[in-house]
Parts: sequence; structure tokens; C-alpha cells
Amino acid sequence: MNAVRLFGKDLTLLRRSPLLVALLVGYPLLVALLVATALQSGERKPSVAFVNLDRSGRTVLVGQRRISVEQYAQRLASEVDLKRLGPAEAQTALDDGRVSAILTIPPDFITKLQAGGLAAPTITLVTSRRDAIQGDAIARRLQSAVYRLNQQLAASYVQQVAALVTGTIAGGPLQIGPISGHALGLVPSEKIVRSMRDDFARAGQAAKVRQANQLLNFIHETALNLGFARQAATSLKNPVQLDVTEGAPGREPLTAFGFAGALLVTLALIGVLLAAAALSSEREDNALVRLARGLVSPGALVGEKMAFAAAACVLVGLVLLGAVALFTSLAVGRWGLWLAALLLAGLAFGAFGVLIGALARETRSALLAALMLALPLLFLGLVPGNEAAHAISQLFAFGPAFSAFQTLLVEPTIPGHLALTFGQLALVAAVFGGLAALSVARRQRT
Amino acid sequence: MPPPPATTDAAGADAPILVATGIRKRFRRVVALDGVDLALRSGEALALLGPNGAGKTSLLTILASVSRASAGSLTWRADVAPRVGWVPQRPALYPRLTARENLRLFAAMEGAADPAAAAQRLLVRTDLVDFADRQAHELSTGTVQRLNLAIALAGEPSVLLLDEPTATLSPDQRRRLWDWLSALRRDEGLALLFSTQSVEEAAREADRMLVLANGRAVFDGDLNHLVGADVNGGRPSVEAAEEAFLRLVGTPA
Repeated sequence: MNAVRLFGKDLTLLRRSPLLVALLVGYPLLVALLVATALQSGERKPSVAFVNLDRSGRTVLVGQRRISVEQYAQRLASEVDLKRLGPAEAQTALDDGRVSAILTIPPDFITKLQAGGLAAPTITLVTSRRDAIQGDAIARRLQSAVYRLNQQLAASYVQQVAALVTGTIAGGPLQIGPISGHALGLVPSEKIVRSMRDDFARAGQAAKVRQANQLLNFIHETALNLGFARQAATSLKNPVQLDVTEGAPGREPLTAFGFAGALLVTLALIGVLLAAAALSSEREDNALVRLARGLVSPGALVGEKMAFAAAACVLVGLVLLGAVALFTSLAVGRWGLWLAALLLAGLAFGAFGVLIGALARETRSALLAALMLALPLLFLGLVPGNEAAHAISQLFAFGPAFSAFQTLLVEPTIPGHLALTFGQLALVAAVFGGLAALSVARRQRT
Repeated sequence: MPPPPATTDAAGADAPILVATGIRKRFRRVVALDGVDLALRSGEALALLGPNGAGKTSLLTILASVSRASAGSLTWRADVAPRVGWVPQRPALYPRLTARENLRLFAAMEGAADPAAAAQRLLVRTDLVDFADRQAHELSTGTVQRLNLAIALAGEPSVLLLDEPTATLSPDQRRRLWDWLSALRRDEGLALLFSTQSVEEAAREADRMLVLANGRAVFDGDLNHLVGADVNGGRPSVEAAEEAFLRLVGTPA
């Protein structure tokens, strides 16, 4: 109960320190903005070397579309800034950091496209290991671009097949790749065979009439089946149609990665700094000597500070999520899971901060230590693809919190490992909270 | 552990309300207290005297349950609520809370049924009503020390422990503080145990003195015993008391 009273006291003190509130909220937000800006730079058009090994200069006609390597490149260039280079130049540019990736078109690109999708051409993308964030962004953009182009090509192939089927049924001019010709068609064939059958009947050739009837049946069923095949092919072209209405113009939306990073930085700094300051100020105000007289146990005191930091994290986190949901196109939902993630992350950040506050002798040194320890650990949590950094960040709250935030933002379905991540955050909170309680108790004993 | 000197039967008016026996405190290799005994009676003022590092604050924090003794025991008289009010040398309160909020918070934490009423009573009792709604950091040093004292009274203690309560006060603030403390002793039978470096203050305000040196109690008695003189009809002089004290603690006069 006394811990609840202390919680109320902390809220009162926080309300009375507008400068502290401004610093605690403003500074992490500023850092978060910088981090988001830096992370978003990976989402702007990055430079990519474009190496074209298909020197055939040919084009391929797919349906009504004529496709050349150059046209293909132009479409990809809407996603990235393509720099046309030779293979060696491209490698040098990648090594020098002038480009973030190399996109290579294979020598048989057009030939394979001409094969009508029987052997799909493979373009290769090599990203820079020095810029993992940028490389990841490029890969995602090009995957998306290739997917869209594939969709368009598939539509063209289907259109071509449909035209062939129509020509086969109705007759008329046909074109398959570069070859063109004229087809008689099943419907005209049926008329011819029917006429022949009538002639056979008039001539009393009963056997030939039966054969002609069999042929007519075959022509009729084939035309019917091909008609079904055309319908099926047409429906394959556009399995689902999407009508997109453009919304009101707004700011460029944050990416999931950028926003998760910004959220992590904001909440981690708020949680760690607030908890460190809250506990160390108990000592600085000399109030700890009263609390230590059995009014509040070390565990309850630490728990109260953790809860205080967690409450601040939940509040700021929900405000940020709400702002993102209202003003950007980033999908934010799953509010129950978000609440759990923010609470657990806040408790874990708070536990880390309380431990620092318990070890430091005064508030200023606690805040300085909290900042100096939290920043590099946060950085490790944000670096993708580095196993050592990942392993270290997992020992603290920063790694699992970032993982949970990203999962909630980008995963279409809730994976099982989210529960594991939540458990990890709870464990980190318990371990650091326990160490902080031991530290407080030890100081009280001496 | 030494046996407790006071038993639950010893509930007479003259029996000590608090007895500490064989109190030891060790900080790694340093022995801060080495078997100190003391007894405190209701309404009595006992001064803890000693040079820096003698163990005065260590003894007070153990009695206040702020820190733990390495050995020893504390025994309370059966008819007395075992409650101690702690007045540390540096005020222990929240500077950004008002005097009333500080008192209400600590009264609530001490278990007061009506913390707001308890805070109001304490404000009246310590003459802080005029400062009730001002934040503690806006108050003068003397007023803050009074608030520090008021918070210590929030738990309705039987014994008040004060660690050099007048060290940072001006002479007039010191006088007013002692007037209040004397009234508390007189009116409520509160026992005082205070540490001081001033022999004069101890001689004037305490009934008895416990002199500590190097963690040991080297004297426990009144002023007459300290000076070792048979004073006929008068108080020993402060100079005589100081000389006696310096002889006890081994510092040349």
C-alpha cells in the first residue's frame, strides 16, 4: 500500500517539474526523430548499380507489350536510383560505397522471356554488407518491383493465351511470339464439316455421315472446352481486383522499421532515465532513510519505480502509436497486444534504470550513467544482421522490445515467438528488478 | 547476544523504556561500534557526545532501524509502543512537496487512520500552519528542520532520535527548536536521544550524557559525574565539562 502512496507522490512530483517532463519526453522524442530520419533514409531512392549482361538488343512481345531490357530497367528505376555500369565498375562502386547494391540482368534475359515463362530469367541483386539497413531496404523495394512487373507480365501472357484460344475457336489471324499466321478456327470448321455431312447424306453415304457426325461432336466439345479455358485464363489474370482511392495528401509515412526504432529509442530513454532518476532522487532527498525503516521494502520500492516508468512508457507509447495511426499510412492495430508489449518493455526498461539509480550515489550521476549505458545498448538493439550485437542486445530489454515492436507492426499474423519475446521481457524485468532490490537492500544494511 | 536488561515486568515509571545492549557495528575491517549499552527513560533527554567517527550516527541509525547492528539487542518496555521517530541531520523529506503533503504522505505510510487530520495536527503541534502549503524547498533551514521533526512525529513515537539536530541552525533557530523539544518531553513524556558535538548543548539540554570514543561508550552519566566534581549548590561550568570531555576522548585540551 505504501508503494502505491509513493507512486502517487512520484506523479505529483513529475507534474510539478515541467522542465523535467519536457526533458524526459522531449529529449527521447528528439533522438527518436533523428533515428527515424536516419532509418528512413534507407527508404528513399538508394543508388544501385545496374549491370546489363544481355547485349542482344532484342525485345520480346508479350501480348500487346513489347519488352526490352531498357524498358524493364526503367520500371525498376521508379524504385531505386539506377546507375548503368559495367560489372567491374559496379563492383568498385559497391566497394567504395558509391552504390548500395548491384543489380545484374543475365545474358539470356530476353531469350528466357521469349520462352513464355517456361524458364524464368533470374536477375541478381548483391547488397552491401557495410550498409545492412540500406541493403535490406533495397532488397525489399526491388522484390516489390519485380513482383509488380511479374504481375504485369503474367497478365500479358494470359492475354496472349486468351487471344490464341479465341483465334482457335473463331478463326482469323494469330500471333505466337514473332510467328504470325491465319487459323481456320473451330466454328468455321464446324460449318464446313456440317456442309460435308449434308452432302454425304444426300449421296446416301451413311458411313461417312456417321464419321462426319463424330467429327462435328468433337469440334463442338473442343470449342466448348476451349471457351471454358479462356474464361479460366481470364479470371487468372486478375484473381482479385483492388480499387484504390487516393487519400488526402499527408506527410510521408514512417516505415515499420523506422517507427519501431523510434518507438524503442523514445520508450527506452524515458523508461531508463525516469526510473534511474526516481530511485536516485529518493536517496538525494534523503527520504530513503525514512523509507528504509520498514515503511517500504526494497522490493516494493523497486517495483514502484518500475511501475512508474512503465506507466510513462505506456502513456507515451500509446500517444505515439495513436499519432502514427491517425496521420500516417502505417498499419497500427492489435491494441491489446500493444498494451502488453508497452507495459512489459516499460517494466524492463524501468528495471534497468532502477538498478542504475540504486548503484549511483546521486541523481546527476545516475542520469549520466543511464544515458551512457542505454545509448550504446540501444544502438546494438537497432543494428540488423550482426549476431554479436544481436546477442548482447537480447540480454537487455532493448533487443526483445525492438523485436516485439517490429512483429506487431509488420507480421500479418501473430507468430508464436511473440509470446517468447514477451516472456523474455518479463524475465529481463525480473532479473534487473531483483538486482536493483538487492542493491537497495545492501545499501540499507550498511 | 547479551540478555536483555529490561523485562516486560519492569513497567514502573522509572524503568527504561528502551534498552540497547552490546550494540556492535562493523563496516568490513572498521569497527564503528564495539558493544555499546544504553538505557533511556520516558521523558528523558540523553545526549550522545563524541568526536567525529566516534560512532554516534551509527548508533542512532541502528536504534532508528535504518541500518542493522552486527550484534546486540534492543528491548522495549512492555507498556510502551516500540516506536521511534527519526530526525536525521540532513532533512529527510520531499523538497517539491508542500509541508502538508509531506506530513500527509508520511502519516499515511506510518499507518494513520486519517492522514489529512494527522498532518493538520502535526502542523499545529510544530507551529508550521503558516507554511503548510509551501513547498519544502521554499522554506528556511530552521523551518525545514522543524518539518523534519514533524515528520518524525508522524508515527506517534515514544522515543525521538535526533542526529545533530541543530548543526545547521542559527542560535535563535536552535533556541526555538529546543523549546519545542522541551515541550514535547514535558507534555507528552517523549524521550529524546540526540547526538551533538557541542558539550555546551549537551550540558544545557540533556539530563544525561553518553560519551563515545572509537566506538565504545566511555562515559554514561550526568554533568556532575562528567566533571568529576562535587559541585556544591551550583552547575559545573561549560569549560569544566569540555575539559572533562576532552580528557575522556583522548584529545588534549
